[in-house]
Amino acid sequence: MIHFYHVTKRFDAYSTALHDVTFHIEKGEFVFLTGPSGAGKSTLLKLILRQMRPTEGQIVVNGRNLNAMKRSHLPYFRREIGMVFQDFKLIERMTIFENLSFILTAIGLSAKEHKKKAYGALRAVNLQHKINYYPLQLSGGEQQRVAIARALINDPLMLIADEPTGNLDPDLAQEVLEIFSDANLRGSTVLLATHDRDLIQRSHRRVIALDHGRIVDEKPATAEKPAARGESMFVNWS
Amino acid sequence: MNEQIPSNILVYFFREAFRRIWVSKRSSFVAVAMIAISLLIVGAFLLISENLGRAVTIAQGKSRVEIYLANDANPSQIAAVDRYLAGHREFARRRFVSRDEALRRFSSYFTNLDPIVRQLDGNPFPPSFECDVAPNSVQSATFAREVNEVRAIAGVDDVQFDWEWVRRLKRVVNVINIVGLVAGGILALAAAFTIANVIRLTMMLYREEIEIMRLVGATERIIRGPFLVEGLLQGILGSLLALILLFTAFLVARRLLPPANALVWSFLFNGFLPWQKIAALIAGGTIAGYFGSWLSVRESGEEPA
Repeated sequence: MIHFYHVTKRFDAYSTALHDVTFHIEKGEFVFLTGPSGAGKSTLLKLILRQMRPTEGQIVVNGRNLNAMKRSHLPYFRREIGMVFQDFKLIERMTIFENLSFILTAIGLSAKEHKKKAYGALRAVNLQHKINYYPLQLSGGEQQRVAIARALINDPLMLIADEPTGNLDPDLAQEVLEIFSDANLRGSTVLLATHDRDLIQRSHRRVIALDHGRIVDEKPATAEKPAARGESMFVNWS
Repeated sequence: MNEQIPSNILVYFFREAFRRIWVSKRSSFVAVAMIAISLLIVGAFLLISENLGRAVTIAQGKSRVEIYLANDANPSQIAAVDRYLAGHREFARRRFVSRDEALRRFSSYFTNLDPIVRQLDGNPFPPSFECDVAPNSVQSATFAREVNEVRAIAGVDDVQFDWEWVRRLKRVVNVINIVGLVAGGILALAAAFTIANVIRLTMMLYREEIEIMRLVGATERIIRGPFLVEGLLQGILGSLLALILLFTAFLVARRLLPPANALVWSFLFNGFLPWQKIAALIAGGTIAGYFGSWLSVRESGEEPA
């Protein structure tokens, strides 16, 4: 589903965000992308969404070579991806319903489908009672869940999240993880960028660890008992 | 990858456009005012030329040709002229004026000159035909040829037809039209650029929303739609405002200027613009608005880093 072949992303001569990164994520997988701040996680997600192009290498997502993709095809490609952004990217002047409905309008769904889909997506994150609230009336955790609902609303083939639990307490983080797991069970491929080691350890999922723009570790999914809280599975990147 | 735009997208375009105009009231007002001023100027020129044009048409309708016969023209020659005039549709109603009638008419028009005329030996006035010219024939080549043919008929001394002033008036109308269109065109272009800047500012205001829309898969057409409609609406509002101002000015001027000043009245206040020109003004404003917003949105678009 997501294939990186020797991908390098340089912003200038002194700043390389990703260096010769190669990995493959198959359809239906649930993968954690982890690493410290500045490791290149966000850059990697932006490359998948084709917010930027690689300096070197090839990226193939859902059978499409992103380097060769025409600009006019980009919106249709992005509709297959549900993206949860680190800063939520909710529109403050719109209610929660309008924030969700806006996406459906943007992708050309009829008004009839809006309410049903928006309500369903909000119910999945347990926020259906706040459908008429504005983002600033919600807590950070609630805003995060609305962002997740927005990503899920169109039953995406891929669900990509950048630090979706960064603002949440452990219980809420677990809840959010379960939402992603449900989406994965329904068939979505999930790539979740986080530096929350506890969350990763509890989930037994495949992990790709980045540091200084390179893949420094890869762990396959495991059914084993997770490591104790605080005990690192990965290289020490401090 | 053909994009289908359902009806709710159009509703969304208009709703968003109205909302953005409302949110950016001041800059929208400037854009609408620019369009209105431009079209007001164009409209004023059109109104003047329209009324002058009507004056020309009326003058043409009232045009008359005078065919002076020789003093010694015999009845058969007079009858030949009469037959010619009767046989050509460019010459409408005609009337024969005998020498005696011409003298009587002169004496009644210029009573103070009557004693002088009486002192003359005989009647100095020739017989003539006064003939109306059929509408729209005045400037036709056929009419010009026929006037020359009348001149060549035996017994005809002279043919007088003063239509040079009509030609001049027509030239004035054409100049007014050209000046109006050029000045209005330049101003409309300036208005379009004002709208372009207003839309550019609005796009900057909404850049975060635009970015989100792009990231969730909205096409450029859906992103740009509300901005294009915004320019369109500003153009329509501007042209309607221009028409309201022009009509008000027309009514006020007509009320203030006494009808006794018949020449100015007939040249300027015969009537307001016909519906075709009103429609053309609204279309002009709409196109200027759309062109302005198109200038802005065509520059937008995501270019991946």
